[in-house]
Amino acid sequence: MLDKYACLRKLFSLRRDEIVVTTMSVAAPWARLSDGPLDFAMVESSMGQAPAFGLGLALARPERRVIVLNGDGSTLMCLGTLVTMAQNPADNLILVIVENGTYEVTGNQPIPGAGLVDFETLARGAGLAHVHTIEDAGDFDACLPLHFKGPGPRVFTWKVRGAEEPVPKPRAYIRQRALELRQALGQ
Amino acid sequence: MRKYAGSWCKINMIEAAAVLSEIRKNGATHVVGIPDNGSRALYRMLWTDPDIRVVSVTREGEAFALAAGLFLGGARPTVLIQNTGFYDSGDAFRGTVVNMAIPLVMIMGYRGYETMSGAGTADTAATFFEPVLKAWDVPCYVMRSSSDSRLISAAFSRSGADSLPVAVIYPGEMR
Repeated sequence: MLDKYACLRKLFSLRRDEIVVTTMSVAAPWARLSDGPLDFAMVESSMGQAPAFGLGLALARPERRVIVLNGDGSTLMCLGTLVTMAQNPADNLILVIVENGTYEVTGNQPIPGAGLVDFETLARGAGLAHVHTIEDAGDFDACLPLHFKGPGPRVFTWKVRGAEEPVPKPRAYIRQRALELRQALGQ
Repeated sequence: MRKYAGSWCKINMIEAAAVLSEIRKNGATHVVGIPDNGSRALYRMLWTDPDIRVVSVTREGEAFALAAGLFLGGARPTVLIQNTGFYDSGDAFRGTVVNMAIPLVMIMGYRGYETMSGAGTADTAATFFEPVLKAWDVPCYVMRSSSDSRLISAAFSRSGADSLPVAVIYPGEMR
C-alpha cells in the first residue's frame, strides 16, 4: 500500500505548469504543497464531477496538462465519465483515482464495493487504453514520470493506506478560485 | 396526478438550422450534451459542423461540469439536453456552473409540453420544468417557433452580462 502524502510530495516534485484538480481527502494535503491559481480544489462543488471538469479544461487547453486527483468514492459517483473520457480523448488529461476504500473526510465509512471494485478493469472496460494500478512505492517511482507524459488520457489508481483528513477548507470560495484559474490561463 | 392548466399554448415546429445559426452567431465552440427526439435534427447538423465540436456525455450532470472546465479554459460551451436530464443534474448544475459563476446558455427540450393542454394527464417532466427553473433562480426564455430562436442571442447576452447560466427551453421536435 502507498502512503498518500508521500505520493503527493513526489508528484509535486515533478509538477511544473500543470493544472491540478483535487477533491475531498486530497484537497487539503495538496494545498499544503501548492495552493496557487492552477491548483483547483473541487470543493464547494459537486462530488464526482472533477473528472468531467478536468476533461473540459483539457479539451479547451490541449497544450496544458491537467491532472485530476479524485477519490474512489467520488469516482463511483460518476462512473460514466470514464466512458466520456474515452469518447472524447484528451492527450493531456491524467486521472488519478486515490483508492483508500472509504469516504475519508466524513469519518472513513467504507465505500460500496470496497475491496471488490477493480478500477483498472472499469477504466479499461470504458474504453481507456492507458491504465495503471500502483500498489507500492517502487511501482509508484517507476510510474511517476508517466503522470507527466502523453499519450493520454491516462488513468492511475493509487492504492493508498487509510488516513484521517477532515473536510477540506479552501482558502477562498470556489467562485473566486474559478476566476483565478481562468485568469491564470490567460482568459 | 393533477392536470395542468399553466402556460400552455400552441407551438410551431422549430427549424434546427435557425437554432444552429444563433449558436454559431454567438461564438459557441462546443455543444455538450445528450440528444433526444426534440434535438435530433440539431445534433445531426452539429455532428458535421466544421466549427463547433460536439462533446457527448453519458449523463447530463457531466455536461455542466465539463462545460465549466471548457469555459475556464477559454472555450465557449453551450449545453444541449432534455428537461429530464436537467432534473438529474441538480447537484452538478448547482456545484459547478452556478457556484463557479459560469456564463452558460443551456438549450433544453421541454418534453411533455403538449400534455399540458388540459385534455388529459399532464407529464410531470413538463409540469415541473418552469417551476423548477424558477425555484433555482434560472433565467428562462421559451422558444415556441423558429422566429423565437433570436431568444438564444438574448440568452447569450444575459448570461455573459450576469455571469450565470441561462435557459432557453423549447417544446416539440426541431426539424
